[in-house]
Amino acid sequence: MSIQPETVRRVTAKLYDRSLRGIPSDTRSALLALETIDRSETARHTLRIMVESADAAARDSHFICSDAGVPVFFVRVGTQARFAGDVRRAITDGFADLVGNIQPPLLPHVTHPLTLERGHAGKGMPLTTFDLVDGSDCVDITCSPKALGSGRWEALEIFSFPDRATIERYVIETVCKAGSQPCPPVVIGVGVGGSFDYAAKMAKEATLRPIGERHAEPLVADMERRLAAAINKTGFGPMGTGGDSTALSVNVNYCAGHGFTPVAVAFNCWINRRTRARIYNDNRVEIVE
Amino acid sequence: MSIRTHRMHFPLSADDARSLRAGDQLILDGEIVVTAGLPTHQRLLKALGGAEPLPLQLHGGCLFHIGSYSQEAADGSFQVLYINPTTSTRFNPYMPALIRQLGLHAVGGKGGLDAASVEAMKETGCVYLSFLGGGCTLLSQALRGVLEIGWPDMLTHYRVVRLKVEGLGPVTVAIDAHGNSCYADAQAQASASMDAILSELDAGRAEFCGNRS
Repeated sequence: MSIQPETVRRVTAKLYDRSLRGIPSDTRSALLALETIDRSETARHTLRIMVESADAAARDSHFICSDAGVPVFFVRVGTQARFAGDVRRAITDGFADLVGNIQPPLLPHVTHPLTLERGHAGKGMPLTTFDLVDGSDCVDITCSPKALGSGRWEALEIFSFPDRATIERYVIETVCKAGSQPCPPVVIGVGVGGSFDYAAKMAKEATLRPIGERHAEPLVADMERRLAAAINKTGFGPMGTGGDSTALSVNVNYCAGHGFTPVAVAFNCWINRRTRARIYNDNRVEIVE
Repeated sequence: MSIRTHRMHFPLSADDARSLRAGDQLILDGEIVVTAGLPTHQRLLKALGGAEPLPLQLHGGCLFHIGSYSQEAADGSFQVLYINPTTSTRFNPYMPALIRQLGLHAVGGKGGLDAASVEAMKETGCVYLSFLGGGCTLLSQALRGVLEIGWPDMLTHYRVVRLKVEGLGPVTVAIDAHGNSCYADAQAQASASMDAILSELDAGRAEFCGNRS
């Protein structure tokens, strides 16, 4: 048996649709947890309204945010997975199906970067990355549409033999530059090392990690904890109007590189769009979240 | 200190705007005007310069950075399916002139405006309202009707739309008409506490052995 393009097409459209109408359960819990500890009354009030908004969207099957973003898919392909047709085509078709059928309709956010013309389709859309997973007989697809508010403030800088203090300062600096604008509290993904492109990809992947899960290596987990504590002392707070809750989580990924060390910082806004599904060779579909 | 929550009818008067303080919560009834387009702001300034008429009467009113999905029905009427704020900071270059020339008493969206806008707001008696980013369902529930669609030739969220709302919010008064800004306060707090934050970050860093040569 092989994975049919029709399955990929249907699943990617569904993942996108679901990502617009609900927040991940870990994110809801994290917002509620912050609501119990933030010292600012306005911040606690805003956090409560955030959860209320997410619950209302899920209940009414409506959008949480009108900026449905641009479609972003992360595809992890098992080396034992088999395909009966074109995969990239299927994902593109799935997005076209979504645009054609979704209610209420999506605003036209896909933008030609050179002419600023906007629509629902464009060169290279959906933004999709593929990775191989040795030994696996399935395909994991994560959908995390990217909107303007958080996408605008992501940043990358390349250092030469930086110490950890330099890397951490750059993360804090990037968070302060973003300030109120990416709809905090945000999930902050940090990618360190590798090359220019690898660091950005690692930062993006770090935003997709479940909230509460720390990096397996103590050195990195220590960095994540200290960065989150530091960022939550900056005072931006929910929607940037003040408070202790600026970060939902700081997740750091790294890989080895040369002495030049790219540091990339990515943001997910408080609604933390993230849906996942797994497709097996027999076309069984498991909705992971 | 407990939060003050107000309920006010829009368009807001300068007196009403000046009675609000940064940090207050506000629930809106009445008429609001929204747009989320950068090209719209550029076109508005050109219109004020005489290039074309304004898309609708905007003087003494409000202008919120809120995107809306408007749809034309078969009979030519418009329906708005949903609304939601967008980041205001990208309109910073245009807002001081728009606030002054239109005599606005309320602006808003999310993310705030810069010091130049805050100055203009003091002059006209104008507040900045922070709508919940990701508040699409809740905010859209307050829609009661579409009163006017300005510049329907533009993309839906770029249009200038006058809406009737009831119970919109609560929203946070994030910048008041007296120059107080929650955003500027947060930035100032971050700057003022940065040395302490970085010292603590450094002090907590555990030593992990490594060969750095």
